[in-house]
Amino acid sequence: MNIKRIAVLVSTGRHPTSGVPRHCRNDSLALTIGIDLSHSDAAKLDVLHAGNANNPALMDYLALGADQISVIPTEPDTDIVDSLAERLGDTDLILTGSRAENDQDSGLLPYLLAEKLNIPIVANVLEVRQIGDKLEVLQFFPKGKRRRVAVNLPAVIAIHPLAAVELRFAYARQLQGKIHSLSTPVDRNQATSIMQWQIQQATRKPNKLKAQENLTGHERLLSAITSENKGGTVVNDGNSVEKAQVILSYLREHQLITF
Amino acid sequence: MTTRINPNRPSKIAAAGLKRIVLTAPTNLQVPHQQKPVRTKKNLNASYLVIAHSERGTLCDHALQTIAAAAILADAETNVLALILGELTEDLANVGADQVMVMPELDFEHFQPELELANISALIESIQPLRIFIPDNHTGDGDLGRRLIAHQKTKTAVTQVVEMDVGHVATYQAGGTSIAQTALPEITLLVANTVDTHLPFTALAQRSNQAISNQLTSNSYQDLGMQTIAATEIALEEADFIVSAGNGVQNVATLESLAHTLEASIGASRVAVDDGKFSRDKQIGASGKTVSASAYLAIGISGAVQHLQGIKDCRHVIAINTDASAPMVKRADLSVIGDAEEIMSALITLIAEAKSANLKVAA
Ligand SMILES: Cc1cc2nc3c(=O)[nH]c(=O)nc-3n(C[C@H](O)[C@H](O)[C@H](O)COP(=O)(O)OP(=O)(O)OC[C@H]3O[C@@H](n4cnc5c(N)ncnc54)[C@H](O)[C@@H]3O)c2cc1C
Ligand SMILES: Nc1ncnc2c1ncn2[C@@H]1O[C@H](COP(=O)(O)O)[C@@H](O)[C@H]1O
Repeated sequence: MNIKRIAVLVSTGRHPTSGVPRHCRNDSLALTIGIDLSHSDAAKLDVLHAGNANNPALMDYLALGADQISVIPTEPDTDIVDSLAERLGDTDLILTGSRAENDQDSGLLPYLLAEKLNIPIVANVLEVRQIGDKLEVLQFFPKGKRRRVAVNLPAVIAIHPLAAVELRFAYARQLQGKIHSLSTPVDRNQATSIMQWQIQQATRKPNKLKAQENLTGHERLLSAITSENKGGTVVNDGNSVEKAQVILSYLREHQLITF
Repeated sequence: MTTRINPNRPSKIAAAGLKRIVLTAPTNLQVPHQQKPVRTKKNLNASYLVIAHSERGTLCDHALQTIAAAAILADAETNVLALILGELTEDLANVGADQVMVMPELDFEHFQPELELANISALIESIQPLRIFIPDNHTGDGDLGRRLIAHQKTKTAVTQVVEMDVGHVATYQAGGTSIAQTALPEITLLVANTVDTHLPFTALAQRSNQAISNQLTSNSYQDLGMQTIAATEIALEEADFIVSAGNGVQNVATLESLAHTLEASIGASRVAVDDGKFSRDKQIGASGKTVSASAYLAIGISGAVQHLQGIKDCRHVIAINTDASAPMVKRADLSVIGDAEEIMSALITLIAEAKSANLKVAA
């Protein structure tokens, strides 16, 4: 089976200090991977955004090589998962970023979409290629670990921010590309979310959760003294071989080496 | 209300015949207080469920913090049940797990999200936890947590939680420019270092191994295996073992050879980089890179604040320095005082011996 339709889901971002609308880098990585795949597979590429067609941030995706962006108009209470899912019924591969920069950016959308469409999802993906009727992907793990996974199509693939993709902006393509608005579905899906948010400017630091402790004055004093004393073991004595041996034993004891 | 000071507190008679109270522990507290009380002894019928993958038989700090969070938030009637996916050799009593359930087959090295979800959903169905807590990390738990949230759509859920207490959780939104609060949800995906794991109580940590069910209706994924990138190719930010050089390192070749024998990545202080001994991309610190290695070997680095900023997330810091009063020695978990060149050379020889001894045993 060849991949016939690829969809890339793009959200919009803002510059953190100036507030100027711009593309969301994560989604641009997904878009670039999508464009490359659509060329090699001769597949049709849909670039979808749920939101406002006039958002200047969308221009960045045109400059990155999207010929056309389809925008699903939304109201504040639209369920964008439902709206997107309706347009993705016969898509073989859905590419997303791993976290948006607008609204809630919870990284949940790809999962909710996969659940809704009842198809598999692989997240934190660095590389994608088609092998037979499956997709083989490379998944990111911290500390230099990577995992290869083959996944059945259709599937949702969320791209990791460290994907080795070079973003190529071209102003000419921004001028050529088109943004067009899709019609609003007749019965608009209202979000069923029950969460009530209270939103502030992020000017304060989050507070750490601490256990309540009923300490006597004496204990508090003691803990104030002992926490000062944080430094570890200091080894002054011995020749350099003995000192090296101390380091080696420490590494062994904490399973930091295997020999 | 002011409490009256006990007139019979330990005291001594000072020179002028004045009675002075001495600052020691009140007698009733002098009983060894390392024995912490158990958090709750009630019959527990409700529960908080914490889910995390283990690695090499232990939990990372992030997972321990998540268990501690559940224990801090739980009331006396609520059981804290830790479900550990993968082997577990560690005791979870001091982070407040009342019950520990282990599913060794579901370790993070293997990608089996459908199997994990099926077994966890079955467990949730049977114990009906009031709340679920999961570390929001990149080693499988963040992924599993989001699958669970998508699957259990009726439950309220918040990901990337940076602050929480009994009343609320908070998370950054809109690309980190705003902080949003809501009531404590049923499923919480918690960011690292948002909880102090120091608890005034302990728990029983009753352990049971849980057999898993292998029944699956579909299998959409095929795991093709885990691989590890060589230390020399990995980005410094990702490295797990870093050998780092400062102004106290004269001979770069020795350092490189040490890094090579330890299969470690190389880092450097700003002075070492400015001297042209290392390339700029090796610089660690405020104006360089922030690293989070499990092991950080700081050789001839004084430990200026700008440098320490870059290594605040490193788990084990080992210093080699001629100066026992260097700030790095205060930060380090182990410091050896002595000449860098000599100790590095000795270490290289020792490691070579250890490796060849290992080979002989294996042969
Ligand atoms: C705005 C600003 C940003 C900065 N950003 C960074 C940054 O990102 N990263 C950074 O690293 N620094 C940074 N610095 C510089 C920082 O303040 C220190 O100057 C620097 O970290 C010191 O490097 P060092 O420890 O290698 O050198 P030194 O301070 O010279 O320390 C050398 C250490 O080696 C020990 N030593 C000497 N000889 C031997 C020997 N033979 N064997 C063993 N030990 C020996 C000495 O006892 C000493 O402790 C910044 C400074 C400023 C002002
Ligand atoms: N309004 C949107 N329209 C299209 N795609 C979106 C939208 N919001 C989020 N996405 C996609 O879903 C990913 C994760 O978003 P989130 O779950 O909001 O963090 C993003 O990287 C985008 O690829």
